[in-house]
Amino acid sequence: MLQNSTDNGSGLHPPESSARRTVLYDWHCRLTDKSHIAPFAGYLMPLWYSSISGEHKSVREAAGVFDCTHMGVLGISGLGAAQFTDLLTTNSIASLETGRARYSFVLDSSGAVLDDIIVYRRDTEDFFLVVNAANHAKIKNWIGAVLEGEVCIDSEDSGRTASAKPQVQDLRDGDCKGNCMVEIAFQGPKSLDILSLLIRDDEARMQIAGLRPFAFTETEIAGIACLVSRTGYTGAQCGFELFAHPEKVPRLWEAALDAGKPLGLLPCGLGSRDSLRIEAGLPLYGHELAGEYDISPFEAGYAWAVKLEKEFFVGKKAMERTSREYDMKVARIELPGTKGIRPVRQNDSLLDEQGRCVGWVLSCARAGETQIALGYVDRAALKKDDPVGLYYTARSSSQVRQGRRESTKKGERLERDLTGKVLDRFAKF
Amino acid sequence: MVIEGLLYTKDHEWARIEGGVATIGITDYAQQMLGELVFVELPAIGKECAGNDELALVESTKAANDIYSPVAGRVIEVNDKLESQPELINQDCYSVGWICRLQIFDTKSFESLMDSKQYEEYLAGR
Repeated sequence: MLQNSTDNGSGLHPPESSARRTVLYDWHCRLTDKSHIAPFAGYLMPLWYSSISGEHKSVREAAGVFDCTHMGVLGISGLGAAQFTDLLTTNSIASLETGRARYSFVLDSSGAVLDDIIVYRRDTEDFFLVVNAANHAKIKNWIGAVLEGEVCIDSEDSGRTASAKPQVQDLRDGDCKGNCMVEIAFQGPKSLDILSLLIRDDEARMQIAGLRPFAFTETEIAGIACLVSRTGYTGAQCGFELFAHPEKVPRLWEAALDAGKPLGLLPCGLGSRDSLRIEAGLPLYGHELAGEYDISPFEAGYAWAVKLEKEFFVGKKAMERTSREYDMKVARIELPGTKGIRPVRQNDSLLDEQGRCVGWVLSCARAGETQIALGYVDRAALKKDDPVGLYYTARSSSQVRQGRRESTKKGERLERDLTGKVLDRFAKF
Repeated sequence: MVIEGLLYTKDHEWARIEGGVATIGITDYAQQMLGELVFVELPAIGKECAGNDELALVESTKAANDIYSPVAGRVIEVNDKLESQPELINQDCYSVGWICRLQIFDTKSFESLMDSKQYEEYLAGR
């Protein structure tokens, strides 16, 4: 076995020597077997500590803590920072208040999605972006090139350049000394209680408790200076992301585990991070955004994060076209998932009531007795509560020999293996 | 964990040979790497395979993996408990988590297999 795996990141291979260790690597080794640690986006990351399903459950019922120190953190500050960030990303930065964060996209001038990001505004001219670990170098280079006028930013005016020239800093691993910060996430209904245990000051505790979604503040947690943000990637109503200096993060992690243990907090790996975001309907770059199907923000369900009324942003012309002419969309679908049911995977086919192929699975995860899939489907064919058929695409050559299809086309009739239904696009827990 | 008296493949299957019958499973290393198993596709009784032919398929929450036959033979029995309890492989891959039994055709295919000591060394070298 293990020769012909369809494995997407769990890695049954020895860790690449080039992969870096996060500041929490020693903790990962202490908390789980080395075989559960694998390279991801250039870092050795835990896939799970105890089990994916147990960690998933802890976030839904108590709380989980995640090493997100691999995520890219890029600072944009100084004169012109607001103007530049507004030009660089699709959402409105001008209307973003200080102390608030906003989901946005970075596009190139042809409208290709380079990344989906969160923009945080710390001050009038002080921002930082959290970017996907896998896209960190690409976005860093892109920002540099836009600043220097080395790339085309307007498909209809090749002479257009960014007039604002703010300072850009790599806050994760650049030469930023005291300014450096990396992320760990606290997610789940008990996450506020656990954070409260780590805050000595009553006023600060009240402030954290009063944070609205996508708001943040700066305070001390376990005696460590932190930026605390009411954001997350798990669909939890109550969840926080903490940014702190990388040298301080191991102490923060230890304090969180100690305080959270009696409340059911578990350290969580990439496996449950993925299953939680799928259950919530949140996209992962390369799967529900861009990727094999070149999925646009509109298809992904994020038209609201592309502000076509802005005077300009990189990729605007292309987005104006895309907004008018898309016929596929991302849908969240519930399928049976009791024991003994074959797991649904990427590229399995989705069928309408007549058994016609209307799209394909992008991601899927188990949640209790069900499987939740995010599919790329015909925009007109499936609506909420509609029944959906699923056809398993062949996973091995012996299945192909038995007549199972390796790939399918839209409109083809296929025999359903499972029946599920369309859910709301997003869910909160 | 590696058990004495079994034969092992480089792809982390094990075989227990008793009187012309081979019981097949996956090793502790393999189940550790795969994580929680959620589905097992068992071979049909009567299926004949050469050494290193696809025999079964196991799927964990993250990956689908083929299981190759360590020996040449005909499938005479399958562990159908795995259809509703794939986690038996995680619980004890060398006993309750066995996958199938093969009537062995010939012993030639044994030559490429490792004993427990060789397999341990092989794992250490990974």
